Amino acid sequence: MNNRRNLGFIAGAATIMSAVPLAGIFQHWTWMVQSIFAVGLITATATGVRALRGRVATQGLAMFLVLFLTLTLLFSNGHSLLGFIPTPETVAYFGRLLGDAGTQIRDNGVPVEDLSGLLFLTVFGIGVVGILTDLFTVGLRRPALSGLPMLAIYAVPVAVFPDSVSIFPFMIGAVGYLWLLVADNTDRVRRFGRRFTGDGRDVDAWESSPLTSAGRRLAVVGVLAAVVLPVMVPTFSTSVFDSFGGEGNGPNRGGNGKGGPATVNLFADLAGRLNQTSVQDLVKVTTTEGDPYYLKFGVADELTSSGFKTRTPSGQAIGSADLPDPNQRPSFGVSREKYTAQVQIGKNFDMPMLPVYAEPVSTQKIGSDWAYDPNMGIVFSLRSRSGGRSYQFDYVRSIYTPDELNSSPELSADNALRRQYTQVPLVVEVNKLVEDLTKNAKTPYEKVRALYDYFSTRNGFRYSLSTVEGTSGQKIVDFLHNKTGFCEQYAAALAWMVRTAGIPARVAFGFTRGSNVRTENGQNVYQLTNRNLHAWTEVYFEGFGWVPFDATPSTYVAGSVASDWAPDVNRPTAAPSVSPGSVVPGGGGDDVNPRGDNNHDPNAGLDANGQPITPAPVWPWYLLGGVVLVIVVLSLPMLLRRRLRRRRSRQVKASQAADLGEVVGAVPDQPGVMVIVSDSGADRARELAHEAWDELLDTLIDFRVPADAAETPRTAVRRLIEQQELPAEAATGARQLAMAEERARYARTPLDPEPLSGSLRAIRRYLISTSEWRVRVYAVLMPPSVTARWRLAFLDGVSGTAVKLSRMRVWLSRFNPRRVFSRG
Amino acid sequence: MSAEEFSAATEAIVANIEQVIEGKTATVRLALAVLLAEGHLLIEDVPGVGKTKLAKALARSIDCSVRRIQFTPDLLPSDVTGVNVYNQENHDFEFKPGAVFANLVVGDEINRASPKTQSALLECMEERQVTVDGVTYPLQTPFMVIATQNPIEMEGTYPLPEAQRDRFTARIAMGYPDAKAELAMLDVHSSQDPLDVLTAVSDAATVRRMIATVRDVHVSDAVKQYAITLVTATRESPDLRLGASPRASLQLLRTAKAIAALEGRDYVLPDDLQALAVPVMAHRIIPTADAQLARRTTDAIVADMVHRLPIPTDRRSGTQPYERRR
Repeated sequence: MNNRRNLGFIAGAATIMSAVPLAGIFQHWTWMVQSIFAVGLITATATGVRALRGRVATQGLAMFLVLFLTLTLLFSNGHSLLGFIPTPETVAYFGRLLGDAGTQIRDNGVPVEDLSGLLFLTVFGIGVVGILTDLFTVGLRRPALSGLPMLAIYAVPVAVFPDSVSIFPFMIGAVGYLWLLVADNTDRVRRFGRRFTGDGRDVDAWESSPLTSAGRRLAVVGVLAAVVLPVMVPTFSTSVFDSFGGEGNGPNRGGNGKGGPATVNLFADLAGRLNQTSVQDLVKVTTTEGDPYYLKFGVADELTSSGFKTRTPSGQAIGSADLPDPNQRPSFGVSREKYTAQVQIGKNFDMPMLPVYAEPVSTQKIGSDWAYDPNMGIVFSLRSRSGGRSYQFDYVRSIYTPDELNSSPELSADNALRRQYTQVPLVVEVNKLVEDLTKNAKTPYEKVRALYDYFSTRNGFRYSLSTVEGTSGQKIVDFLHNKTGFCEQYAAALAWMVRTAGIPARVAFGFTRGSNVRTENGQNVYQLTNRNLHAWTEVYFEGFGWVPFDATPSTYVAGSVASDWAPDVNRPTAAPSVSPGSVVPGGGGDDVNPRGDNNHDPNAGLDANGQPITPAPVWPWYLLGGVVLVIVVLSLPMLLRRRLRRRRSRQVKASQAADLGEVVGAVPDQPGVMVIVSDSGADRARELAHEAWDELLDTLIDFRVPADAAETPRTAVRRLIEQQELPAEAATGARQLAMAEERARYARTPLDPEPLSGSLRAIRRYLISTSEWRVRVYAVLMPPSVTARWRLAFLDGVSGTAVKLSRMRVWLSRFNPRRVFSRG
Repeated sequence: MSAEEFSAATEAIVANIEQVIEGKTATVRLALAVLLAEGHLLIEDVPGVGKTKLAKALARSIDCSVRRIQFTPDLLPSDVTGVNVYNQENHDFEFKPGAVFANLVVGDEINRASPKTQSALLECMEERQVTVDGVTYPLQTPFMVIATQNPIEMEGTYPLPEAQRDRFTARIAMGYPDAKAELAMLDVHSSQDPLDVLTAVSDAATVRRMIATVRDVHVSDAVKQYAITLVTATRESPDLRLGASPRASLQLLRTAKAIAALEGRDYVLPDDLQALAVPVMAHRIIPTADAQLARRTTDAIVADMVHRLPIPTDRRSGTQPYERRR
């Protein structure tokens, strides 16, 4: 018992050790303190229950109960009685916490703060692992199995850290696991009893056997090999060779070393970062604007047959002169407002460009090696990079209305801007499509809207990150055909088509609005991650300048913003019409997708009013589905049994003597017993008697009354009547069943099966009334007749397979070369 | 013969015998069943339990020819079968029928005769005929040998050879009567032997008709299969050196038919076979030396088999998830 207690504590310690790899996920060690507390209580509970000689199931239940109480104590936050007694409210709160945890996992990059949802999930998970480890190790004496739940813990950091995970926490976990195995085996060996040496001297339990030292040496060599080899081999991400070789794979995949903005393949960078499994914080921006539009850092405006490309920007150094102010342009009724924004760029965003809101008019704290290209509207540098910088700028936001844009005239064909920005490689399919879509449009804006509206889910467009990136002519056709892609394809396709329609267009790169972290002093702070990276289309309207259009389905882009002039085409009420004034229902400025950072998530949808809905967490459905599945599987025996019983009793009941032919009372000493004489009726009556008898046997098996294949019906019934002390009615019924069955089996003429149904009912009723509640519950919920049949079928299958295999082996052994040659 | 007639006739015989043998209904019915199955009966038990009485009572209850042979070591085969005697009047050999020329032959203490004499019964019991000096004489119908033997006393006895034992359809033990039956016996037998006043309640012709009725009892394929299963099991049992013969399965079924008819059924049940397995098979089989050393009697071996073997039905087997009875 003492050893078992030790083993329990070792199991708890091993659980905690195996949880060490989680340390990288959290900024603080709160989770560890809480987990140690929970696992300690669980271990103590298990030890206590074992001291009271509780069974394994009892131990497990007690441990789960204690885990629940501990969680209530730690996390209930007032949603409980006396701080630790759970109430239904507690359960609901825990459900919310789990939901929060799901959101927090998506929203936060590692390492995270002590968020209650994540802490709850962690402590709960470690607690469950602790329970399983204890059960496997002490209860079931299978400590090796506890490696599985521990492995589940390891999977978390491996999944969360995209690049590499330090191996040292894992080694601690492995050591814990080995400790557990060693402790169990020591315990197991000691249970063999006292060892004796040849000279009769008995050996102390702690004295090592002669083989111990050899075993220990082998173990050390094995562990060393297992731990050291992977470290040395270069395939491991934190391999020794790798770390000597340089930086390894740094986060700036987009910019390969130093170089100008044109050297950056923005498309590839965008696709790569969007496809990252983890969420990286890239930029934090604070702005005085209430509903800022996208933050732009790049433009691709050179279109060749291989797709859009970034030109080398040109412009004057920032600070040397004021940037062009849109307010100096004629307004045409466009409302313009000036705001200030501060940007803080993280280390992971290292580009030769600085993101800014359109259109910046003055900047602060940007070095002189940065320049502004007024044409592209981007801040760039040929020498510096953006990583880790913070700066401030003022910008002017233009809000256009469809009416105003509609008034914009078409550029003349020889306009330099038009010539430059409408160059399109000839792709017949695109030209034809553009022609079709714009045939009713008169003004440039109507044409753009017609093209823009085309990218609607109503036309079958879907969002998927898993398509091949690229914007070349062939790929545009593929995209327009498959209608599946992500932002860069939507942006490039729209720009391409707008260009085809003779209107200047280009692809812009930047961030969507992102998630509003906090608002203070009228300033909104937005956190932008790699999931907020985005591409959209900019269209040039004479007199207005470059106007953004975001064709990507907004549902799938977190922080995407629709505007009055480019409303969300997937909203059911937004008619794909360009008639002025009817574009945006209730058009109160910008309209942001409120889902925050939950970016590029295809699980979202729109509700009936066209409002984007907050997606409910998916896990409750999986949980519900799992529970339903388990219930269905568990209730299968019950349902099968019920169906069988119904079918049999229906058949027996439905049999009328009239259907079965002539009936005579042929048994001399039993006047009530009737015999079927006609041939066809006899067969049917035989079947029914068999059904009734089978039902009786199944019922007996269900109620744990043993049945025996070596018993004849009459012996079986006699034993049943004696052992179960059947009352007169049930006993008569049982005899009737036996007689019907034996006559059906062995006599020339079977009995009339009519009274059998009643007999069965009487016996079943009596068995139900007299058996123990446990037997009763089993008979109903998990009828042994069904489960035993399954078990027998399984065993038959297994033994049949074994027989076949051994036969095959015998057959194959004929070709054994030894045998073949020994013959010769 | 109708079921009512049959029932009345058999009940009369049983009741008649029970005037002499108290409290042994099952044994009496079994003896009657052997008669109706055209078999022969070996009654084996310690002295004084009424073996001979049962044999005589059965013989008396039926109005037919009854002969009794007291087997002694000096009994000769010709005493049993008969002998050709020279008739001086017509100068020819004349056949003098032996004791077996009767409907019922009661052979008392059969194991006291020499094997030579015991063997004289071989032909008559199986073939119901006697061949003396190349001439075959048929025996009467019904023909039944009821032999008794004492298993305890070994001195001066010759155990029956296997071939002889196999010819007996059933071997039954009388067993001691229970206290009540013994008390009744003391009351009745103290004043007068009831055997003396026993009158026949049936005759040979009736018995022949009853035998015909028994032959007509239905045996389903499943029951035949069960008989074969039982017999095969004795042949395959590791405890047995010699299993039951095909004659055993035939006689098992015949006797089962008679039992079924006695119980008023026109069909045989596996229950009948189970009840008959020990009386019909146990005396025909020989246990191995190991089983003998382990003190396993043939009765126990057969009874164990009966408990073990599944009952065949005419349906597909294995519909029920049977488990061993605990």
